[in-house]
Amino acid sequence: MQEILEKLWDMTALSSIGAQPTFLIMYLLAFVLLYLGIVKKYEPLLLVPIAFGVLIANFPGGGMGVIQADPNGMVLVNGVEKNIYEMPLHEIAHDLGLMNYLYYALIKSGLLPPIIFMGVGALTDFGPMLRNLKLSIFGAAAQMGIFTVLLVALLAGFTPQEAGSLGIIGGADGPTAIFTTIQLAPHLLGPIAIAAYSYMALVPVIIPLVVKLLCTKKELKINMKEQDKLYPNKTEIKNLRVAKIVFPIAVTTIVAIFVPTAVSLVGMLMFGNLIKEIGADTNRLFDAASNGIMNAATIFLGLCVGATMTAEAFLNVQTLGIVAGGFCAFALSIASGIFMVKIWNLIAKKKINPLIGATGLSAVPMASRVCNEISTKYDPKNHVLNYCMASNISGVIGSAVAAGVLISFLK
Amino acid sequence: MENLGIGIQLMIVGMLTVFCILLIVINLGKLLIKVVNAVAPEEQVAPKKAAAASAPAAAIDATTMAILEQTVSQLTGGKGHVASAKKI
Repeated sequence: MQEILEKLWDMTALSSIGAQPTFLIMYLLAFVLLYLGIVKKYEPLLLVPIAFGVLIANFPGGGMGVIQADPNGMVLVNGVEKNIYEMPLHEIAHDLGLMNYLYYALIKSGLLPPIIFMGVGALTDFGPMLRNLKLSIFGAAAQMGIFTVLLVALLAGFTPQEAGSLGIIGGADGPTAIFTTIQLAPHLLGPIAIAAYSYMALVPVIIPLVVKLLCTKKELKINMKEQDKLYPNKTEIKNLRVAKIVFPIAVTTIVAIFVPTAVSLVGMLMFGNLIKEIGADTNRLFDAASNGIMNAATIFLGLCVGATMTAEAFLNVQTLGIVAGGFCAFALSIASGIFMVKIWNLIAKKKINPLIGATGLSAVPMASRVCNEISTKYDPKNHVLNYCMASNISGVIGSAVAAGVLISFLK
Repeated sequence: MENLGIGIQLMIVGMLTVFCILLIVINLGKLLIKVVNAVAPEEQVAPKKAAAASAPAAAIDATTMAILEQTVSQLTGGKGHVASAKKI
């Protein structure tokens, strides 16, 4: 009888949890993330699958945690060392479980982030950017946070590949951060994805904080529409529809020529946008890209990223460094955009609201919405949403290009 | 120290690349708008579409009026009437 009870006890996860209480910290983390996603509604489409992935990955015996291979691709399978990249997928599924199969087939292969970019492209309108092309330059300035944190991370002892993956959090673009990390430092995927998505979810808190520290009331009251009346745009778009169709094709071609490593992200972003802009003829493709495929990709990406956060992979000093460094990268990117606007305003006659610089990091369209709320707080008639979207969208392209540079130099 | 060199190099190359690409995108966009303005015909709202659009608008107005009429009537116990409604 006692033997049966002992076997029953061993069968449950309780014995392992008792032996290794760090699992409890992971459950707590999963519950906090679930709370933020469900109750606080912070990026629920991503935080909920990630949090659930964390939860199911940390039940000993469940086999749902992602096993990270060492730099040579070696993993321990039933006591035998095997090269995971030489293992067929059905063997991974059989020996390491469902989540490892999904991770190595969909994430480690680099499939899902570009697929999500396609969906993002299908949901993005490049109209505001085409109408305010000059403002797109602030999307470049806001990438400064990526490289500053990379430098600091190198000084803190991270390897160049790890530092690059840490810095890319400053791009404020989840799929870009995941794509870069898979290429450069896959063992850090869990904490980096969590940091990237958590800070994206905290955009309504971080942007106002940085703006409050760096901008004066006078600057925030700069009315872009009045500036447009004083200094009107010289070129008028006579046929926006045609321009919107040609634009994604042209941008993809240019990026492909100069930074080929960024094409998988920018190309898919632009493809998604193209099938949206063509209209009725490709409506079925647009519908698939923006709904079915995007939603399925988001579910698998979230669950797999969450499942990489096993207690042994997550609970270490390096993770704390990533969380702190990610915040700095994020805040620095916002600050760089603001400073670029301030410099611009010193030189140019047409003044620009610094909030447009603050949206130079990606996080589309939440960053623009938050900045519009800030501007209307100071002047209820001052709606900057469309102007912010210009730098916000160019920030997506900017962070993808920055990722391409990092991958080219560090892989 | 060697890593620091890599970091500074990456910062310079990375930021320059991002700025250059976005400057190219901006100028490409301007060129594209000029070409489109010259080649593509100006976007015009087809009169048929406009007529079609006004029809449902009128229907919506009638529905809105009916709802307003009913609401006012209910609130005032049948004494009040809506003479006209204007969209602000």
